Amino acid sequence: MVDFNVETRENSHVNVVNLHGYLDAHTAPELEDVFTKLIDDRKFKVVVNFENLAYISSAGLGVFMAYVETMRENNGDIKFSNMSPKIYNIFDLLGFPLLYEFYKDEKEAVQKFNEKS
Amino acid sequence: MNSYDIDAAKRNLSALVDFSNFINSSLDLKFILSNLLLTCFGKFHTTRGLVALMDEDGRLRLKAYKGLTQAMAGEFPEIEAASKSESCTEEAFNSSALGEFCRKYHITYFQNIVCSQGIKGVLFLGERLNKKEYSPDDKAFVGTLVNIAATAIENSAFIEKLKDLNRRLDSKVSMLSALFELSKEFSGILEPSRVGKLLVYSVIGQLLVSNYAVVLCTPEGLKVLEAKFPKKLLETLNLCNAAEVSTPLRKEDFGEELETLGSLGVELIIPMQIQGETKGLILLGKRFNKEEFKESDIEFIYATGSLAIISIENAKLFKEALEKQRMEEDLEIARDIQKNLFPQKIPALEGFEISAVNVSSKQVGGDYYDVIKLNDSDCLIAIGDVSGKGVPAALLMANLQAFLKSICRQGLELNRATDIINDLVSENTAMGNFITFFWGILDSRAKSMTYVNAGHNPPLLIRGGQILKLTKGGMILGVIKTMVPYVSETIELQRGDILILFTDGVTEAMNRNMEEFTDERLESLALGLKNESSDEILQKIRAEVEKFVNGANQSDDITLLTVKVK
Repeated sequence: MVDFNVETRENSHVNVVNLHGYLDAHTAPELEDVFTKLIDDRKFKVVVNFENLAYISSAGLGVFMAYVETMRENNGDIKFSNMSPKIYNIFDLLGFPLLYEFYKDEKEAVQKFNEKS
Repeated sequence: MNSYDIDAAKRNLSALVDFSNFINSSLDLKFILSNLLLTCFGKFHTTRGLVALMDEDGRLRLKAYKGLTQAMAGEFPEIEAASKSESCTEEAFNSSALGEFCRKYHITYFQNIVCSQGIKGVLFLGERLNKKEYSPDDKAFVGTLVNIAATAIENSAFIEKLKDLNRRLDSKVSMLSALFELSKEFSGILEPSRVGKLLVYSVIGQLLVSNYAVVLCTPEGLKVLEAKFPKKLLETLNLCNAAEVSTPLRKEDFGEELETLGSLGVELIIPMQIQGETKGLILLGKRFNKEEFKESDIEFIYATGSLAIISIENAKLFKEALEKQRMEEDLEIARDIQKNLFPQKIPALEGFEISAVNVSSKQVGGDYYDVIKLNDSDCLIAIGDVSGKGVPAALLMANLQAFLKSICRQGLELNRATDIINDLVSENTAMGNFITFFWGILDSRAKSMTYVNAGHNPPLLIRGGQILKLTKGGMILGVIKTMVPYVSETIELQRGDILILFTDGVTEAMNRNMEEFTDERLESLALGLKNESSDEILQKIRAEVEKFVNGANQSDDITLLTVKVK
């Protein structure tokens, strides 16, 4: 089984979260830890790069729901980028495009943050 | 027919063929309707046109328009089609709201769109630029156009429906796979808090909810497992009988008692049940996308909740089983300690028969007895009952034995030795622990016994049909350091005398009716003894107690020590 793995880095004052592998009920807590840490460090501008994500389950989607409000309350946001059509379909099916911004490219998403500020 | 008419007919025909090819190449409704309108515009030189189609509920709704502003189109009345076969009549067109709309915006002609299943909708066209009426030929042409379009419209509607079905199917599949994944995941987790987190993530991810709470119903009241609602909500929850919610409740069904919850933002309450009993609740706030919770959503949450609560319950049972096992291991240790403290073999003393037995209870009480030969003529017998049960009692018992073994060989008077033992036990026990204790030294030369009774059930001396209770001594061991010295008593013994030492496990042995064996029963049994050996006496008392108890659970140790003077 492909493992899950998550790493964060900074790109022009925006925090990019890279996801790899399988994000499901089993691995969701790892992503949760990352978001908790971002909030602790008062880093509220987040772009999640889905380029290397192979699978996402609804528990994985739940993590984004759980943290997006805090980010937005602090003038930040969670934006998504580099999503494969397969992954995007899942987000689309559950109505996420109404509530989140999706970008083809990480650079675009990062720029969007910096435009505003 | 003149050549002009033939040309016109040819043009019409080729226009129709083009139109047919064109719109049947697409399944996009907008594209089809737009082309229908544009073709009419080109043919009749009108600048206004609308298409209304029948929805599932039998109402005509505007689907496409050209030559009108959005505001104008907004005025289009919704029409209840009279019947499927006859959607728009001259009558309806001339009178009513529709007629008014048409007159206002110079819509002068309409044509029903008919397909195999009846009326599909209506095409409306505005007045022609040349102000001419629509001729019968024109109407026939529009009729043909609309017929061609009807098939395309029907096909596209069918495709839309399929797409919608597919989407709903996808959504069901996604719910099912979420459930499947969770059931796998839940079964492996033994921490309720982790189960709660997973439950929350799955539900909020699937349904786009950002406010939630998961509470468990415990004997001590509601316990919050996960929550992202104002604190006030949880207080409110404790006030109303939330645990009595037994079916999913939407806000409008909350009733008076739960009304406050609704005002705090709770939209949905779903019970987590095991065999119909509510063990917990899931509370959810508004959906981010402003949609209502559908019946299938509620089913999903209920199913997820059931999985979670079963897992939480299993975790609880597992923990309990583990604790029980640990306790049993503890008791096994206690039993081992106790067993090793009892003498392996009762020493023989001339002129006396000595027998003893201990029947350990399940919980291991703190009974203790000992028989120690001090020299050729003297033998120490002792019996005690340590307060408490299990390992702590067994350890205190072991302490007592250690003190006793070292002190009895010092050649001290028994009463002084008791003073010391009491001091030692007092120093070495935690508050509230004590020992009832009796010991005596049998002297085979003098045919006597010197004893001290430190608060133990008085042993019985049976002689010639009389019972003498051995009560001299002092207070129980371990309560306080010796302030009043213990006293001893020496009694002469005669041939045939019987001594019965016992613990309260004998006299307080209980039958199923919660009746005790009692001192009286033991005494009357003792008086009935005649020529039995010490061992036979022991067996007789045991048998009598067993008969009385009649299979009820033994709650305390039973210890007996009997002496027969020969």
